[in-house]
Amino acid sequence: MNEKMNFRADEKWRNLLARSAATFAGNATPPYGFVTATLARLSAEQRQQEEFERIGWRALLASVAALFIAATVTLTLNYSDQRGDFEPGTRSLIQMDNIPVS
Amino acid sequence: MDEAFDVNDCLRRWKEGDEAAAEQLIEHLYPVISKIVHLHLPRRDDEKDLVQEILMKTFSKLHQFKGDAPISHWVSRLALTTCLDRLRAQKIRPEVRRADLTPEEADSFDAAWLTGSTPDAGDAISARDVVDKILSTLSPEDRTLILMVDLEGRSMQEISDLTGWSVSKIKMRLFRIRPQLRQMINKLEE
Repeated sequence: MNEKMNFRADEKWRNLLARSAATFAGNATPPYGFVTATLARLSAEQRQQEEFERIGWRALLASVAALFIAATVTLTLNYSDQRGDFEPGTRSLIQMDNIPVS
Repeated sequence: MDEAFDVNDCLRRWKEGDEAAAEQLIEHLYPVISKIVHLHLPRRDDEKDLVQEILMKTFSKLHQFKGDAPISHWVSRLALTTCLDRLRAQKIRPEVRRADLTPEEADSFDAAWLTGSTPDAGDAISARDVVDKILSTLSPEDRTLILMVDLEGRSMQEISDLTGWSVSKIKMRLFRIRPQLRQMINKLEE
């Protein structure tokens, strides 16, 4: 009985697919205006991609420049600190109390 | 499909900025993508938008195409993955009952016993709607698999190449889907 029901269900499924087969077939040619619309979208996306790349490059260059400036300032300050005879803390005390050094 | 179509030449020209080459590629790939979208997505989903979305993906990933296999295979895989993603976004019905069918769909379901009869366009659409309702109770992967086996008659190996699933996984899935389908059809008879 169960086997018979399974067979009937399988048969029905196959027939349903056969009856609807025509609706599963794809189109061989694109509908009117599809290619033009797709090309337009493609070039718009390419332009956007190029714009993003340009923005990315600019941001990268700006970051490198900022890093370079920060490094230069740090090195210059460090260099000028090293040139003094006193420790930075001692020099601050000297400057605060206006003590003549030489 | 036009066998004389030189995909590599077309790709080279497109990379050089030739818009005519892109047009040729779209026309060449359209039937391949349309076939997959028609087969795997329910009838009312907007096919045109999805085909365009797949074409956009194709163009953006063309640099990954190595040319080892025909471009249609590569695009088919991309299209199938996109369809599966679209199906995953849709809700899976817990079940379908006779009351869920419209009168036309119910007639079409009953007429599916008459093997010899040739359906007209309206019957074919109603039958498709019944099929879509039955398929909507399956997971996206099961739905895709059953259509590739029962409608396209693809071999296990072909399905494996297209989906990346192992042959044993495919067999296991099919073994599990059949009783589910039978149960759903029997429920529609009630």
